[in-house]
Amino acid sequence: MKFYLYTKLLVISLFLLAMSFFSVAQSNGFRISDTGEGPHIQVALMSEQNALVPGRPQLIGVYLQPDPQWHTYWRNPGDSGEAPSIELSSTAKISFGDIQWPIPKAIPVAHLVNYGYEADNLLMIEVFVPQDIVPDGTLTESAEDNLVTINGDLSWLVCKEDCIPGDAQLSITLPIASESRPSAYAALFEDTKSLLPDSYTNPEPADVNAKFEINDTHIVLEVEKSQSLGELNLSKLTLFPFRSDVIKHAAEQRLIESDDAWQFIIPKSPYFNGEAENLAWLLSDGQKGIYFDASINSTLVSNDMSAAYSADRNLDKPSIDAPSLLIYALMAFAGGLILNLMPCVLPVLSIKAISLTRTAPSFFHKSAYFFGVLACFNAFALIIIILQSTGEQIGWGFHMQSPLVVTLLAFLFTFIGLVLLDVIQVGNRMSNIGNSLVSGERASAHFATGVLAVIVASPCTAPFMAAALGIALISEPYVTFILFNALAIGFALPITLLFISSRMSALLPKPGAWMTTFKHVLAFPMFASVAWLAWVYVGQKGAPAQFLLLISLLIFSLFIWLSGHAKGQGARFTFNILALLSIILPISASSLMVNTNEYASTSDSQSVAKNHVDYSEEKLNALKASQQVVFVNMTADWCITCKVNEQVALSSEQVQSLLKEEDVHYVIGDWTNKNQEILRYLKQYKRAGVPLYVVYSGTQNVNVLPQILTPDLVSKAIINAKEELKND
Amino acid sequence: MIKGFMTSLVLLLASMSALASITIGEPAPTFTLQNTKGENVALEDFKGQYVVLEWTNHQCPYVVKHYDSDNMQSLQRKYTEQDVVWLSIISSAPGKQGYVDAQTADSLSESRNAVPSHVLFDPEGSVGKQYDAQTTPHMYIIDPQGMLQYAGGIDSIKSTKQSDIAKATNYVDEAMTALLAGEAVKNTLTPPYGCSIKYKS
Repeated sequence: MKFYLYTKLLVISLFLLAMSFFSVAQSNGFRISDTGEGPHIQVALMSEQNALVPGRPQLIGVYLQPDPQWHTYWRNPGDSGEAPSIELSSTAKISFGDIQWPIPKAIPVAHLVNYGYEADNLLMIEVFVPQDIVPDGTLTESAEDNLVTINGDLSWLVCKEDCIPGDAQLSITLPIASESRPSAYAALFEDTKSLLPDSYTNPEPADVNAKFEINDTHIVLEVEKSQSLGELNLSKLTLFPFRSDVIKHAAEQRLIESDDAWQFIIPKSPYFNGEAENLAWLLSDGQKGIYFDASINSTLVSNDMSAAYSADRNLDKPSIDAPSLLIYALMAFAGGLILNLMPCVLPVLSIKAISLTRTAPSFFHKSAYFFGVLACFNAFALIIIILQSTGEQIGWGFHMQSPLVVTLLAFLFTFIGLVLLDVIQVGNRMSNIGNSLVSGERASAHFATGVLAVIVASPCTAPFMAAALGIALISEPYVTFILFNALAIGFALPITLLFISSRMSALLPKPGAWMTTFKHVLAFPMFASVAWLAWVYVGQKGAPAQFLLLISLLIFSLFIWLSGHAKGQGARFTFNILALLSIILPISASSLMVNTNEYASTSDSQSVAKNHVDYSEEKLNALKASQQVVFVNMTADWCITCKVNEQVALSSEQVQSLLKEEDVHYVIGDWTNKNQEILRYLKQYKRAGVPLYVVYSGTQNVNVLPQILTPDLVSKAIINAKEELKND
Repeated sequence: MIKGFMTSLVLLLASMSALASITIGEPAPTFTLQNTKGENVALEDFKGQYVVLEWTNHQCPYVVKHYDSDNMQSLQRKYTEQDVVWLSIISSAPGKQGYVDAQTADSLSESRNAVPSHVLFDPEGSVGKQYDAQTTPHMYIIDPQGMLQYAGGIDSIKSTKQSDIAKATNYVDEAMTALLAGEAVKNTLTPPYGCSIKYKS
């Protein structure tokens, strides 16, 4: 290989020499290559083809030939040095592409590492000659009339240990022609193409999915396994970052393989300021290379960091400018309009709409519904702001996290469904409540409809709403109010228009027998909503509790039906009371029942260790107080670094046997779904997210471990903690 | 118990030395080095004053860029006049590029109109490695309380061309201006650029 290179070098140098005579001899002014030199380096500008063909992309190149043991640089030179710079210009309207860097080598220089080329390297650049390059649009027969000069302003740094900068102005002159033939350098271009990373030769972007995380000392990069990566030689992989301030170039890159991905653990550069959403890399085994972009693990950042910080100090709320506030308000408004069509809301509002009488009451009367909606949304906004100020992290539908609210909504929806089905006749006290809620005519009834509509809408999210509410929930209180009111106005608008405008209400179909049928049909979306609520409930309380809820709903419906068919006042009253009592059943029972889901959800993460306990402040304090060794692992399913540590260190035989010892306790805090208790713990150690590893020797000593673990590091920390207790 | 304390102390010290500690806002590593007159100069001598550290190697093209253009000297003048201590440190090992004796160092200062408070010799490279100094130039700013406030490059354009100086953001000037005005430094850490420091090993 080396011999081949040197032979090539000799041939090319001879050729260049010959050419330089030739170009003098040539009368027509062509010059396919131009050479220059500096201390310890020869440089040349050259073209792959002997002419420029309009409309056809072709290559020129800068050929760098450093002396043996000297090197020039890749786009990111590494710890020191500098990439060559090539500024191209032309006498004609030619466009130039980017430098096509061959795969570099990591070159150790003293205590540093540089990325570059210790041999001749050709930096190719695509040249594109537009069709209309010739002013009069025709190519004349005589090539001399269509000469184009390309000037290359070149500067470089060539280094061994010491570095010498150099520069040269080179130029080549080529004819424009309809045909071209490979120049004498074409073979060099051909060879260089095989040294390029895949993405240059393959027009399809590499099928690489990658994410990275930045922790206090390292960058952890996860690359999903894919076909194009499979062709690389795993034992020789090196990652080359495009940016020079991201990793310690001289540090070892640890590669860990899991079932569907590779994780690289690379010490972070002390000069990395952490500002990166995306990082571009070249992954190479020395022979082949693939370019890819990695994005920051967004779960970690958007939820972890920002949520933790916003709960930490409300100072960090993002500021929002007026134009984008307007856009979000419009989105909230549109979301509110669409919310009218959601299955939980539509039936209630449809009834309201068709039961409107065409009388013309006062404006206050007409707008009662509007104010009902507005009041309810503002109450929501207020609750959210108050809860946030106490450090709760909540979102739209936050109340759906409460099984109690889900239960009550299930009963409410069932009740509305039953009313729509005319299970209870008019005149019944219960049915009066229901009817006045949805179809009453008094102003207070309109107001109540507005409130009810928001309550039944609350579990739903319409398109556009999510983005706007996302902003509302993390912004200043006034933004929260503006967006919630925009949503409220959008939501209230359709029905309010019906109230106010007689022209609009005239569009409604005339009342008739069809209305009863229509009303009955609308009961079914309500029952569908109940089914959905029951599904939510099973996630919260488990299957036995859900069964109890369903039975209670059945009993509730039965009593409502009985109440509707009861003859006497007293019987009706009794059934109504019994119906109400059936609501209490699942609420009281569920508080006694253990959530079977807790067991289900933790069983996944138990793969790490069978002997762990789930984190709680109490448990940890109790273990510490009883002078035990405690290893706390704060983790989350979406955290790459956590998974790597679990695979590499925590599941190793060495660590596992220690964790199984009687006086060592393994406590896992799972932050996958975030919670206040763990956030408090993280804040105690000034962390905004996971991973966090802490070893306690009883109440005596606390040892916070680095975010990147090794089996040795963990076992030493545990053994130390044990000794500290013994020596007490 | 005492043994426990000792082990954790040892662990603490071990972890400190492993991290070539350049943490902004943390105490800068202390050192004592000889100047061109053979006197010992310690960082602690300058408590109460701002200190600028400049790693240098007069043969390095990047250093040449900033001296031939008078960029480095004008910074030295500008800040030494405002009671800032400027220490130029040479970590080149004997026999390697940039290594000079005291006399040569002084004549270099004279011929280049450089006005550092001291030129210090670090032939063993121990101070350079303590600061994780990688390139010449590589710049650091330490505040009157001994806390590190800036570490990184001289400016924002990585090149040997003097014409780039005017176009670049000079990070040292930017940081010193902010610090003297009592403001927060915008860029506290920037990637250094230049020649690798010619350490002994």
